[in-house]
Amino acid sequence: MRPVSFSIATVLVPVAALMGATQAAPAEKSTSHPTDLRAVERDFRISIPRHISSGDLVLTVINKGPDDHELVVIRKGRAGIPLRPDGLTVDEETLEKQGLKQRSLEPGAPGKTRQLRLHLEPGRYVLICNMSGHFLAGMATNLVVR
Amino acid sequence: MPGSDTTETARALKPFSTRSRGPIAAILVVFAVFSTLSVGLSIRSTTGSRHQATVVEVAARQRTLAERYVNDVLLLRAGQAADPAYTADILERSADALLAGGDAPPVNGDDDEITVPRAQGTLLRAQLRQEARLVNDLVGSGSALLGGRSVLSVPFTAHERIATRNPIERLRILAALTSNVSLNTTRTIANKNERHLNNLITLQVALGLAGLLTSLLLGWALIATTRRQTAHFRSLVTSSTDLVAVFGAAGCRYVSESVRQMLGRAESAVLGTAFMRFVHPDDRVALRGALAGGHPHEMTFRLQNGFGEWRHLETHITDLRSDRHVRGVVLNGRDVTERVHLEEELTRQAFHDSLTGIANRALFRDRLDQSLARSARTGDQISVLFVDLDGFKHVNDTLGHDAGDRLLEEIARRFAATIRPSDTLARLGGDEFALLLDGADETLAVDVAERLLYRLATPVSVVGRELSVGASIGIVSHGGGPAASEKLMRHADVAMYAAKEGGGNRHAVFHEDMGRALGELIGLENEIRVGLERGEFSVDYQPQVSLGSRQIVSVEALLRWQSPARGLVPPTRFIPVAEVSGLIEPLGEFVLRESCLQAARWSQELLLDDGFVVWVNVSARQLAAGGFERLVRNALTAAEILPGRLGLEITETAIVADGDVGERAMAELRALHSQGVHLAIDDFGTGFSSLAQLRRFPVDLIKIDRAFVQGIEHDARDEAITTHTVNLAHAIGALALAEGVESEEQLTSIDVLGCDLAQGYLFAHPEPADEVTRRLSDQRRAAKRAAAA
Repeated sequence: MRPVSFSIATVLVPVAALMGATQAAPAEKSTSHPTDLRAVERDFRISIPRHISSGDLVLTVINKGPDDHELVVIRKGRAGIPLRPDGLTVDEETLEKQGLKQRSLEPGAPGKTRQLRLHLEPGRYVLICNMSGHFLAGMATNLVVR
Repeated sequence: MPGSDTTETARALKPFSTRSRGPIAAILVVFAVFSTLSVGLSIRSTTGSRHQATVVEVAARQRTLAERYVNDVLLLRAGQAADPAYTADILERSADALLAGGDAPPVNGDDDEITVPRAQGTLLRAQLRQEARLVNDLVGSGSALLGGRSVLSVPFTAHERIATRNPIERLRILAALTSNVSLNTTRTIANKNERHLNNLITLQVALGLAGLLTSLLLGWALIATTRRQTAHFRSLVTSSTDLVAVFGAAGCRYVSESVRQMLGRAESAVLGTAFMRFVHPDDRVALRGALAGGHPHEMTFRLQNGFGEWRHLETHITDLRSDRHVRGVVLNGRDVTERVHLEEELTRQAFHDSLTGIANRALFRDRLDQSLARSARTGDQISVLFVDLDGFKHVNDTLGHDAGDRLLEEIARRFAATIRPSDTLARLGGDEFALLLDGADETLAVDVAERLLYRLATPVSVVGRELSVGASIGIVSHGGGPAASEKLMRHADVAMYAAKEGGGNRHAVFHEDMGRALGELIGLENEIRVGLERGEFSVDYQPQVSLGSRQIVSVEALLRWQSPARGLVPPTRFIPVAEVSGLIEPLGEFVLRESCLQAARWSQELLLDDGFVVWVNVSARQLAAGGFERLVRNALTAAEILPGRLGLEITETAIVADGDVGERAMAELRALHSQGVHLAIDDFGTGFSSLAQLRRFPVDLIKIDRAFVQGIEHDARDEAITTHTVNLAHAIGALALAEGVESEEQLTSIDVLGCDLAQGYLFAHPEPADEVTRRLSDQRRAAKRAAAA
């Protein structure tokens, strides 16, 4: 929902961008050279390089599908990825408790590009869309961090 | 700067009101465009929103229908009542309708079909296409399951890669995907609607602001225009030299600042009832009437300024009492005092004599007309006096026109002091005055005339000399009733002539006989004047014979007038008229010149003896006019004859004139005589000459009047007078000539009495020059023959 009127948003967007820039400044100091990574979402798959180096990462996610898509970064555990009782979505809460859920992006509309900053230690990861049925329809891809 | 003046003028002439109409009209047009746009957008947006609402409704129910389809499949498979095919049909038709536009089928039987527009926008159409594909995969999988076919064999069209082989799981996942994409589609539509709404709000706000700005501009323009107009009018009113005043029931309510400049009074001093205090009392009633009723629209009244002067205001009065902006009578006034003064001066000049300041002929005539009109009504008597100065021309000729003018001024002053203020004294021109006496009968008029003559009797001092002039006054009295002014003036003129003919310096009262006699006289005067110009006059010569030798020794030149209307007019008929009118001067000059020329012709033809003289009559008026000596010398020079050939016959009255005139005439005659011109006393015995005067006058010939000659035979007194006259002539060294000798007896008598010369019908009538030439030639030839014998 966007209850804010267009004109006010027009005014607020540059202000928010300015605030975001000031907040991002300390993070950039800690990670001197974050790796840029590009992920493309389509109905119903995610395209991403299979292997990357560990460390700070700036993940640019582009939704090229007709439907909205989320992006959830999960570290693979020993067990498989648990589903919620609806049998249609991944149980992110359990994964979070297990410390496997890294970070996520809220649903993005088709054509939108979003960025996700995260720090990945070496290991195996899986990137999924957790919209209802999307994971089960094939929207999951593996990522190996060395 | 003449250039900038032109520009300013051109700018000032452009009406300011039309200049402000353009911007106001433009602002109104913009305002109308904005309002139309705003309303149009609102209508379009509302219509669009209504369509989108139906789309959202159809899109939203697809979620439910997908899940219902799965339930229907599972229920039917479990042997319960369900119709998945119906649900599938709705799902598929709705998906198609959402994408391509058209009617979406109702979910319940009693609902109406929902018409949806064709989907717009790339994203929405992509989502709807994906939804249609997923519906297709869902319905395909459901149909396979119900048909006992392998669900795995159904090809997916929406790129889903479902790992599970459980057909029911696959159906549930497909339903979830369909539901999900339907939800997102709904959200896209909602977002789009929201964007439209935001755009609309933004646009409406912009239009509102533009409208507000336009309204402000419009207001500003109107206020500016109003201010400009107000300032313009204020400037016009305040800077105008014209007076603008508004009057209400309580008097003057407003007066423009120009009142200070025009009247030297403050606005506050003339407001209210004070205004009327400065209006001339004679004009107050008219002005009050005009201000009360708005009529007349134009009037001129007098207003006293701060210096006590009366200023004439030409005003235009407009009744604006019904105009709610004014509610009063507006007076626009212009100071026309200078113009009024100029008009008065021009009127004064037009009706007054510039020299004396008294009325002129036009004003006199006007006053006379008015008096006669009054007399016709009331029967009042009127008297008119015509005054012609005697001897004025001589003053002009001898002392110059300036002296003449001073004399006229003084006489006008004296006349004006003699009459009543109600009488009209006018100068008709030259030395002619006229007097109009209202309510005066003949007795009073005569009394006035005598007083005028009495006032003239006192000499007037002009350029150091004491001058005396008389006056001939004609009086006419009108006893009341209708009369024409021309007639009255003509009668006064006739009476004046009569007075002049009677010797001048007197008055004469008009009577009808005088009118007839003098009317003819005046007509004759005009005829003489015209005849002189047309050459109707000529000169005849009457021979004069020496009683000793019986030879023609001289001739008398006599003026002859052959009038085309009257025939031959005798000198006794026209000479008195010429004397009175002054025409005797040009006539006398004509005779003088013509006689000299004729003497020259005879002399050239060798017809004249040495002592032959051509005698020319000289009138008293010719002598009094002055310059006579020069006139004679010019005539002699022009004819190239010796002065001794010319003789001048002067009447006794001419040489007995008193004062300067007589002295000067005598001096001129003496001068001529000393040059050789002969002098004769004409008609001796009929005048008043005294022996003392004769002694002072160098006379060569005394002509004894015919009255004595014709009675000489039987009247002892005539004989005695003739004898004494002959003796007197001889005593002063002159010759004696008997006039009017008509018989041998008369000739014998005068011969016995010692006359030297004779003239009369016995010898010859006055004859044309040719006839005299013949006589002279005969006489010459006879003399030659006698000499030869």
